[in-house]
This record gives sequence, C-alpha cells and structure tokens, in this order.
Amino acid sequence: MPQIKKKGKAGAAKNYITRTQAVKKLQLSLPDFRKLCIWKGIYPREPRDKRKVTKSLKASTTFYYTKDIQYLLHEPLLAKFREQKVLEKKISKALGRGDVSDAARFESRANDPEKTGKPRYTLDHVVRERYPTFVDALRDLDDCLSMLFLFASLPSTSAVPAKMIARCERLCLEFQHYLIVSHSLRKSFLSIKGIYYQANIQGEDILWLVPYKFNQRIVGDIDFRIMGTFVEFYMTMLGFINYRLFTSVGLKYPPKFDQLKDEQGAELGAFALEGVNIATDSSATKAITNGESDRIDPGTQAAVDKIVKQLKENEITDEEPAKTEASEDAEEAEQDTDAIDKFEPVAAGGDILPQPSYSSSDPAKLFSNFTVFLSRETPRQPLEFILRAFGCKRIGWDAVLGEGAFTHDESDPSITHQIVDRPVIQAAMEVDGDGEDNQTAHKVGINGRYPGRIYVQPQWVWDSVNDEELKSPEMYAPGASLPPHLSPFVKSTQGAYDPTLPLEAQETEAEALDALIEDADKGSDEENGMDIASDEDDEDEEKDGFGGFSEGEEEQDDGEEEEGSEDEEASAVLQRQIELEAEISGKQVKSKQVDPKLKAKLEQRKQLEKKAREEAEDLERAKGMLSKKKRKLFEQMQYTNKKKSTEDLKLREKRRKLEKEKNKA
Amino acid sequence: MGSKLANKKRKADVSDSESENELADGAFDGVLSASEDDLDFELDDDESDEESEKGTDGDSEGEQDDDALLSDDIPSDVDNEDEIGKVLKQTEELEIAEPGVDPKPKDEDDEDRNYRIETDANGNERYVYDEIDPVYDSDDSDAQGPANTIGDIPLSFYDSYPHIGYDINGKKIMRPATGDALQNLLDSIELPKGWTGLTDVNTGNPLNLTQEELELVQRVQMGLIPNELHDPYPDTVEYFTSIEEKMPLSSAPEPKRRFLPSKNEAKQIMKLVRAIREGRILPYKPPEERAREDEEEEQVHFDLWQNEEPQQPNPMHIPAPKLPPPGYDLSYNPPPEYLPTKEEREEWEKTDPEEREKEYLPQKFDALRKVPAYGTLVKERFERCMDLYLAPRVRKNRLNIDPNSLLPKLPSPSELKPFPTVTQTVFRGHEGRVRSVAVDPTGSTIASGGDDGTVRVWDLLTGRQVWSVKLSSDEPVYTVRWRPNKDSFILSAAAGEDIFLMVPTCANVAPALDQASRDILAAGFGYATNGQVHNGVPAGKVPPAKWARPGTKLEDEGVLVRITVRSTVKVISWHRRGDHFTTVSPSGQRSSVAIHTLSKHLTQIPFRKLSGLAQFAAFHPLRPLFFVATQRTIRVYDLQKLELVKVLQPGSKWLSSFDIHPGGDNLIAGSYDKRLLWHDLDLSTRPYKTMRFHSEAIRTVKYHKGGFPLFADASDDGTVQIFHGKVPSDQLENPTIVPVKVLKGHKVVSKLGVLDLDWHPREPWCVSAGADGTVRLWM
Repeated sequence: MPQIKKKGKAGAAKNYITRTQAVKKLQLSLPDFRKLCIWKGIYPREPRDKRKVTKSLKASTTFYYTKDIQYLLHEPLLAKFREQKVLEKKISKALGRGDVSDAARFESRANDPEKTGKPRYTLDHVVRERYPTFVDALRDLDDCLSMLFLFASLPSTSAVPAKMIARCERLCLEFQHYLIVSHSLRKSFLSIKGIYYQANIQGEDILWLVPYKFNQRIVGDIDFRIMGTFVEFYMTMLGFINYRLFTSVGLKYPPKFDQLKDEQGAELGAFALEGVNIATDSSATKAITNGESDRIDPGTQAAVDKIVKQLKENEITDEEPAKTEASEDAEEAEQDTDAIDKFEPVAAGGDILPQPSYSSSDPAKLFSNFTVFLSRETPRQPLEFILRAFGCKRIGWDAVLGEGAFTHDESDPSITHQIVDRPVIQAAMEVDGDGEDNQTAHKVGINGRYPGRIYVQPQWVWDSVNDEELKSPEMYAPGASLPPHLSPFVKSTQGAYDPTLPLEAQETEAEALDALIEDADKGSDEENGMDIASDEDDEDEEKDGFGGFSEGEEEQDDGEEEEGSEDEEASAVLQRQIELEAEISGKQVKSKQVDPKLKAKLEQRKQLEKKAREEAEDLERAKGMLSKKKRKLFEQMQYTNKKKSTEDLKLREKRRKLEKEKNKA
Repeated sequence: MGSKLANKKRKADVSDSESENELADGAFDGVLSASEDDLDFELDDDESDEESEKGTDGDSEGEQDDDALLSDDIPSDVDNEDEIGKVLKQTEELEIAEPGVDPKPKDEDDEDRNYRIETDANGNERYVYDEIDPVYDSDDSDAQGPANTIGDIPLSFYDSYPHIGYDINGKKIMRPATGDALQNLLDSIELPKGWTGLTDVNTGNPLNLTQEELELVQRVQMGLIPNELHDPYPDTVEYFTSIEEKMPLSSAPEPKRRFLPSKNEAKQIMKLVRAIREGRILPYKPPEERAREDEEEEQVHFDLWQNEEPQQPNPMHIPAPKLPPPGYDLSYNPPPEYLPTKEEREEWEKTDPEEREKEYLPQKFDALRKVPAYGTLVKERFERCMDLYLAPRVRKNRLNIDPNSLLPKLPSPSELKPFPTVTQTVFRGHEGRVRSVAVDPTGSTIASGGDDGTVRVWDLLTGRQVWSVKLSSDEPVYTVRWRPNKDSFILSAAAGEDIFLMVPTCANVAPALDQASRDILAAGFGYATNGQVHNGVPAGKVPPAKWARPGTKLEDEGVLVRITVRSTVKVISWHRRGDHFTTVSPSGQRSSVAIHTLSKHLTQIPFRKLSGLAQFAAFHPLRPLFFVATQRTIRVYDLQKLELVKVLQPGSKWLSSFDIHPGGDNLIAGSYDKRLLWHDLDLSTRPYKTMRFHSEAIRTVKYHKGGFPLFADASDDGTVQIFHGKVPSDQLENPTIVPVKVLKGHKVVSKLGVLDLDWHPREPWCVSAGADGTVRLWM
C-alpha cells in the first residue's frame, strides 16, 4: 500500500510561506524584515494556486518562497539587527531609570546612520552575494543610478540626512568621472522628467534618469525609510562598482577630493584623478583637465610655445593649440594601438568576415576640438558632463555657475562655441552693440555676441550626441524655433508610427486616399466660392435620399459583384436628377460632380473599402474554424495590436492636420 | 448505577488489552447487558475516557474513583421529597468520615491507668474502665443518649406495650406521651425552633433540629463546605524565609583580598600611568573629536569581484524588470503631433490619477531653460522602490507571435472553386413534399419521390419530366435510389412496406441499356423459381421478404419487381457493384436492417438484435464493411469475418444520416440535433470536427463522389450548406474543412425544409428536394 499523502506536507503548501510566518520564523520586527528583504533582494512570489498554499486566505496575503526565508536565517545581518534591538532596549531602560549618562553612553555605541551617514554594519558581502559577477552588478545598475542621482539632488531632512546626500553626490560624480574618462556615454535625452543618459559599460546598456537641478517637490505619502534602505544598499554597491571601474581604466580609487573646490561649486572639478602606478603614467594627475596643465607645467610650455608659433605661421587661428599637448598625444597613440585593424581582402575569392566597425564619429572625438563657453542661463552640470564625455576638454562658464571652469571670461578668444538659452532682444541689440564696442577691446557683435564663434542652443549638444554627428548649428541658433527633440531610445518597429519619416511613407493607402479626397473637396469648395454655400442644403438632402436608396438596393441583392455597378448606376441617376434640378432652377451644373479625378479617387476608395470588407469576411470565416479557446486567444492578441494601431492612426491624423495648416500658412 | 460503572471500568480495561486477568475474573453478564445501557454510555463517554486514561494505575485508584462517583450519585437516587432525610444521612456520614481525635494511647498506662481492678463474683480480677466521656468529635457513636437496643425490628411490634424498647441497661424506654389532636394542632401553629414535622424512629419523639444542625443544613443547601470552621485556603507555611539572618553561618575569617588592594591591578595601572606619561596613550578624547574621526574613516573599498566566478542563475530567480525607456512623447520638445488636443487634455484631467493610462501629459517647451522640475519624480521613484521589494514577480509567457499565425491555413478562394452557388433549374410537379431525390449514374437524369406516392424522372438540364409512375395511393415514397452501375438503368424506390425496382422508359435511354436492365431484374426470378432461395429459411418460418411482380399495370410502366418487407422502408442504399442493396426501416424491430441480393432475389436480416433503433445503413465504398447508424452510434461490421469492427461515437443524440468519403477513411454524419460531424475513421471514435452551422435538424449529408472535395448537408432550416472538405493523400495530415456556401432557395413548409440532396456524379452540381414540393438543381 502506498504511503498516504498528508495535506500541507508537500508542494505549494511547503514551498510558500506568508509574510507573517516569515517574520515569526526570523524573529524580526516587520521594518527589520523589510530592510533585510530589500538588501538581499528577496521579493514576494505569486503561487499558481493560492488556495493550495494556505487555508486562511486574504487578498492582500503576500507569499515568499520558503527557501528564500530559510536562506535569510543564516544572514549575519540578522545578528546585527538583534544586537541593535538589545541596545535600544538598554537605552530605554537607562532612560526609564533616569540614568541619562548611561543612556548617552549606550547611544554613542548605537548605530545611528542618520547622524553618521553610515551604519555600523557593512553590506559588501550582500553585494557580492547578489551579484556574483561584475556584469551582473552592471546589469542592475539602472535603478541604483536613478536613485542615487535623485537623492543627490534632494534637500536634507531628518529622514534624509545631509551626510547621505553628500555621499550620494560624491558617488555620482565619481561615476560620471569614469564615464568621461572611458568615453562610454552613448546617448542622452532631455525629457520632461529629467535627463536620461545611456552608457555602455562592458557591453551592458545602462539607462538612468537625472532630475533637473531644482528643489524636488515631495508629494503624497512617501516613506523615506524605505527609500533610505535602498539608498544604503545602492551606495555600497556603487562604491564597489566605482572602485572596479576606476581600477579598470588605471585610476586610483577614491580620487582625491578637494573640499574647498567643492564648496565653491566645482562639482566634477573637485576631484583629481590619479593613476594607480605613477611610474607608468608620466602625468601623475590626469585630472579633469581644462587645458590648465599647459599653463602650469613648465616642461611642456616650451613645446607648446613652439607649436603655437608654428600655427601662427600657418595662420590657422581656428585650431586649438592645446590640442597637441604631450599627454594627449600619448593617449591618442594608445588608442591607435588598441583599435582593431581593418582587414582588406587582397585577392578576390575569399570570404568576407564582418568586423565591428567604429562609427564615423568616435564618441571621444565629437567635441574634442571645441572650446565651449556656457552662458549663465544654461544648465551647467549636464552640459559639462555630456561635453566632457564626448571629448570636449575646455569648457568655460560664467562665474555664477561655480568653480572649475576653463575660463570665466566670456571674451576669451579661444572659445569656439557658446551655448546660449536666452531670447534674442531685437530692439536693444543695435544700440547696445555699438556702446559695448567702444568700451571693450574685443569686438563684440550684435546682441552682445563675439564674432568668430558659433552660438547654439543646448539642444544642439544633445541632438549631435544622439545622431553621432555635429548638427548644423543654424537650426539651433538662438531665437530659432528648435526642431523636435526625439528620444534616441525608441526602436522603430514595422508599422509603428515614426515621426522622423515623412507621412507619405507610413500612411496606409486608404488614409492617403481619404486625405486626397478631402483635399479635393476643399479645393473645389474654394474654387466655387460662395455660390455653393446656398445650395449645399439641397445637396445634402439629395445625398441622404440617395444613401437610403442604395442601402435598400443592397439589402435586396446580396450579390457583391453587382454592387459596384449598382452604385455607378445610382450615381448616374443622381447626376441626372441634379442636372434636371439645375435646369429647373436655371443654374449651371456644378463642376464638382464632373471632376474626373475625384471620381477616380472615389472609385479607388470604394474598391479599397470593398477589399477591406472582403478581407474582414475572410478573417471571420477563418476565425469560425478556430476552437473557442484559440479564438479567444486570437482576439486577445488582436486587441493590443489594434490599440497600438489606433494610436498610430491618431498620430498620423494629427500630423496630417498640422502639415496642412503649415502649408496654408 | 454501580454495576454500570463497573461495566464502564471493565470496558476501559478491555480496551487496554494488557490485563487479561480482569477479563478472566470479571463476569461478562455486564458486558452483555452493556448493550442495553448503550445510551447511558454515550452520555457518560467522557467519564469512561477519563477512567481509561487512569486505567493502568491500579485498581485502588479506580475504586476510589468509584466511591467518589457513588457518593456523588446518591442524590439522584433519593427522592426529592425527603431531602432532609438525605441531609441527615449525609451529616452522619460526614461525622463518620471526620478524622477523629485519637483515643489516648494505651502505652501511657504505667503513669495513670484508666481502669480500676476489682474482684468480681468469682474472685477473679476484673478491669473496670472509666466511663468514656464522648466529646462531640468522638467517633463513638454508641454514646448518644439513651439509645434503643431493640435492633432492627419495626416499632410496630411494641404498639401494644407502654414502652417502645430497652436501653443499654435493660431498662424500659417508655413511650413518650403523645399529645392529643389539639396539642398537635397547637404545635403545628406555633412551630418550635428546629421543628421538622418528623418523628424520630428510634425514640418516637418529634425530631427537632438544633441550631447548629440547622446552620449545617443551610450551608449544605447553599453549596458551601458543611463545616464552618474548615478553611479551604490556609496560609502557606514558609519553610524557607527570605529574611536575612543576622549571624553568619560560617565563622571563617574574611579573606584578605576583600580589604587589601590588589598588587596585580596596581601593576597594570602603573603600566597605563607610564604609558600616559610617555604619551603613548592619550587619556581622554572628547566625543566630538572621536565622532569626527569616525566620519573621516572612509569606507574601505576593494575589488569585490576579484575572483568572480559566474554562477548559473537560479532558475527560480526572476530579475526585476527594467523600466521602459522614454518615448517621443516624453521629450521636452516633442513632435507637435504628440501634444494632446484640448479634448484629450480635458479627458486626462478628468480621469482619476490611478486610472490614467499615462501618468504625464506630453508638453512642449520652446527653450530648455523653461523646463520646470517634474512634480512627481520622487513619488515615481518611491513607487518603483515599492515595486522592487513588494510586488510579487511572476514569469508570464507573453505570446509574442503574430496572431494571424494562429489562424488555420485556408486554401485561397480560387482553390476552393468550383462549388454550386445558384439555382439552375427548379423541378416542379410533385404535390406535397418531395421526400427523396437521386441523380442517375450517368448524370443526365434525376429521379424524385414524394408524398403524393409518385416517382418522377426528370431531365437534369432542361427540367422536363420524362417519366412518372404512381407507386402507392396512400403511402409516400420515402426514398429513390439508382443502381450505381452505368451498365444498367435501374431505379429503386420505397413506398410503405414495398420496395420497387423499375426501369424508367425514357426517350434518352438507349434500347440496349433498357434491355440489359430488364434482364438483370428478370434474372432473379429464374433463380427464385429454382427453389434455391429457401435453402436457408426453414419451411415453417415466414421469409423476411417477398419478391414478386407488381402486377401488369405497373409492369407496363416499367416497374418490374416488388419486394414486400415487414415494415415501412425509409432508406435504401446500394452496394457499389449493384448486386446488393440494404434497406432500413426504423420502425421494424429486429428486421429493421435488411440486405437484399438482386441476382438471387434473396433478402437477409443480418442482425438478430440491434441495440438502438437503426437509422441508416450503407456499404463501404471500397472494402467489405457495412455501416449501420443507430440513434447514437455508428457501428462498423466486417462482412467477411462477420464481426463488429468499430463503434463510432459521434456524440449526438439522434443521428439522421451519414455518408462515407469515397476514399473510405472519413465519414460525415448529420443529426437531428443540428450537428454535422466529421469522423476520421483511423483517428478516433470521436468526431474530428463538429460543425454547428444549422439552426434546425440536419436531414441528409452527402459527399461528392466524382472527384471534387465537396460535401453538403440539407437541413430543416431550408438551406443547403456546401463545404470544402479536402482529404489529403498524406495520412499524417488532417483533412481541411472550409465552409464555402449556404444555398438558400427552398421554403420551409410546416417546419420542414430540405429533405434530401444528391451530388451530380461528375460535375460540382447538386440537387436538393424540398418540403415545398420542388426539386432544385444548384450549379
């Protein structure tokens, strides 16, 4: 006789555990359990059949895997939590006794992350456990970065201590430094939520959101303890990731941090990057170069002078002298040897092996020749970061925007590009321009502009980065209406609406015809002018009458082939009727009815409609052959497709309308 | 009650199974009677359970339990009326039970003896003991007043004497004076204290209770402990006291270490002092400084993934899904078509924030400096956090396939053609319903039979009636079928119990063919007259059918043979060779299915007994198989081995007809419950496809036998439905069935629509017979 199986001893009943049971098993408080779950990455599961798991079932019951909870039992952090609990009890006991000094002593021992900004425990083992390989960690970096960048811009409160914010900010800046050095930033997008960045590190695409530099509004009930728990883990994680990334490009971690500069608002400039091995790297401090090193370093000064002299001889003033800095030369040489050689087939007949090709513009070189000046009203931090990440070495900005600029002087002659985001003042410019001209030694152009440099709006930088080529600056000139800023993350799929393509390329035949007919209608309306307006009522009536008639016909006869001829006949009848009426009233027959082009179009549309109807019928027939289950599935699948296509349809319609308006204007 | 309890106890012991002795010495009578007390047992189950738990402890305990139970049970035995008597008895028992004061121990006799020594009459020594003074607590019950010593005899024996007995000293106890009636009345009016109205049995005096006794009774009535002095909660006696004793228990002197300073500690302190003096230890660090130090202590970073080893991802682990990347509409400067119109904006604002499809509205800013902070960014992040740790993750298989791939591969409409679409000819002539129609094997004429009892033959293309015969005046012609061979022109028809075989005389039939047909029909008569027919049939039995000539009148018209069977024939179907045909008469009990042999004029009844009413029967087009449809099943018999091969279960309640595909592996069946069923004979006994396209019963189903993959069914809703049914030559593929056409034309007359249909043997045309009296040709 087989052993009798008892209920609740195997299967789902044993595999799942409710949260209350889990908390009881771990002997933790609920907040501690939450913390542990967040750090260890343990999340609830959905049993296939809830009723099999527990007898007392509520809708809100959350289930965990029993194995997951079992695994939490061995967590060293559990002991820390318990210690903490004991300490808290001791403090409250001491306070209850009125023994304040004792309580204070205990408290000094307590782990108080609010005050110190870091806990007494470390989470590094958890990071290692959750991400056994570095690539795993990179894969999960999206949320981490978004969270830390957000916290870096939050105001400090009791729930979000200033220390935590400062640490987040530092970690983020360090990460940005890595991206600048490794040139691994790929794309960026200005959205209404903030700025999205996408980087590619070791083949992993990482996408994160950085809010605009404003005070964040905190609406609704937001539990900062939960977010703080996440941030605590993410800070540890990003710290270790930064270490690994920095060492992978031969830099020392943590980089030297200049408190003074940071207080002056240098941000990225407050860090000084150092090579790991000084012997191999001639310039110990790679730093955030603003081209300043050539001014400081006397050794290279001579070389630079010489080159400058050469350049002057060549009368090339546009070229930037600092480009030929010795260290950079070395860098370029390095890059050259690292790159893959191109294999060209010497003789015909061999197979061609595909090679990863560098895009026409290397991200490291996109802005490398420019000296950019940021006007006062532009967002400095994202611009500085993105320009540096795409190779720009010399960025200056107004002194208001903080420390760390290549130059604070707007009139610096080496500046090639200036990014402005202010409206053009038409009236003032001529008077002011003359006045300024007299005062300053430099030639200041109209509207306070310096000749010989390109003025662009900030979107130029983003669009150039996303398209991997420099956009023509005319379109982005100050005061010009900008072209739409498109998301670089959307992958165009077959059939979906794509705003970059012309409308004609993506609209369906029926839509195009509809549009044409509408156009023609309008055109003829316009031609005939006001004459028709008086007669329109009659026409409508006639049309209505005709419609009813034709419907009646259709009902009587279901032969589809005859329908077309029927319609023709009907239209002929109508035509004749109209003519007769016109005769009676003594008016001319309108040209609209005899427009052959329009008629052809109408015919075409009718054909299309018929075709569509036939197709629908076929589909219905085929659906009839499916089993009920499959039919449901089919309809479900079609539902989402239809929803998407109606959305696209709406977009196309809107665009058509807009284009028409534009044409008129 | 007592015996019951004993029973219970025994029972408990029996269940223990260890004590065999008790089983042996205990009488079983109780056990037997136990059955009578079953009800009581049920009530007292819990008691017995308790006992059984205790059971093994031993008998003594059990007995005590019994005693306790007995004493408890007393009240239930006594009647309510003499409650007081009961109380008295109890008090007596209590007195007995009271642990008495011990009598003075006897060994004290040397100090003061409690007896005197006297010499009795014989001169012997006699111990005379002091009178014992029985105090209240004494257990000496004899010492109670002047007790009557007459023993246990009724007092009535002394009724005639002035005394009522003798006391211990032999003196008469005189009868107490009883008052007269008046006295009694007075007594009853002013009751003395403690009056009970009873008489003491022993003394004859009225029994009065003392004050103490009354109180006792009261206490018992109230459920208190009878003895007033008994304290159920005495103070605990403290054996060990918590009070510290003043004097030490040990007189050992105090050790020195208690009062001398430790040298070791002094040494250590000196060490610290020295270190402080030398500056090796900073004695005191203010807490602020220490805190700052703590802060400055950086988190130690190292290469966490120094020796990383990729692990197989846990199959149960589901990584958190990434947030979708931003689309065009999230841009600060989106293409204008993404901006919401006024109506869309209003609708968005009207909907509840939780029901919105998008949590943002696309907005356009003409300069980057005008872009404000996003209001709900922190909230969105928070919600993402909540999702990460609180949302249950389930792996869902998204069907990322083209929905059209689900649709069956249908042949293109051009492939499906040709099939009949329109009425070509309407054949009118029958009065009443046309019951049956058949196209002849050459495809030039059709035959029809109807309610008017006639069989008519029509020219197919022109619709002209070429021949007609009235077979019966009162019975309708239920079925007409052609002999399926081209070498003859023989029509069979059934009217009532008669089956007629005829050779229609038409102009377009060649005389040679006509003659050949007549010869075939006549051949059987010669065989029959030879007397070989009756070989199988015993002389006494009536033959299942009678083959005869129908009479000269009919014979002139061309009707040559009449076969009379026992009940009305509804179905005729021919074997492909044309020598056999089968008839079905659903009302005929055991002879419902008959197989007729044309050449021998022989009729056989293959089934002695058939489960269910036979509805239809047919021969397999290729193999020697015979199909019989009863109401619910289709049975397949092997005619050579004479055995049942297969039973098909179409799953309908009442089959009307079926037809076998000319390939022989498929079968369609129609049923009166509106179903059309396609059976693949190799696949299963269940239908491969069930089609329900008709709103009324299906009368007839037919395959096209001339090479077109078509089949049709005729229904009472007045329509004929044409299907494309392609049976692939490859055995592994399933047949393709496509509904192609609904032929509407027949009118529904008294709930009957199309009664029969037949296909043209070569062309994709079909003929249908309707209840409206017409036959229609569709092409």
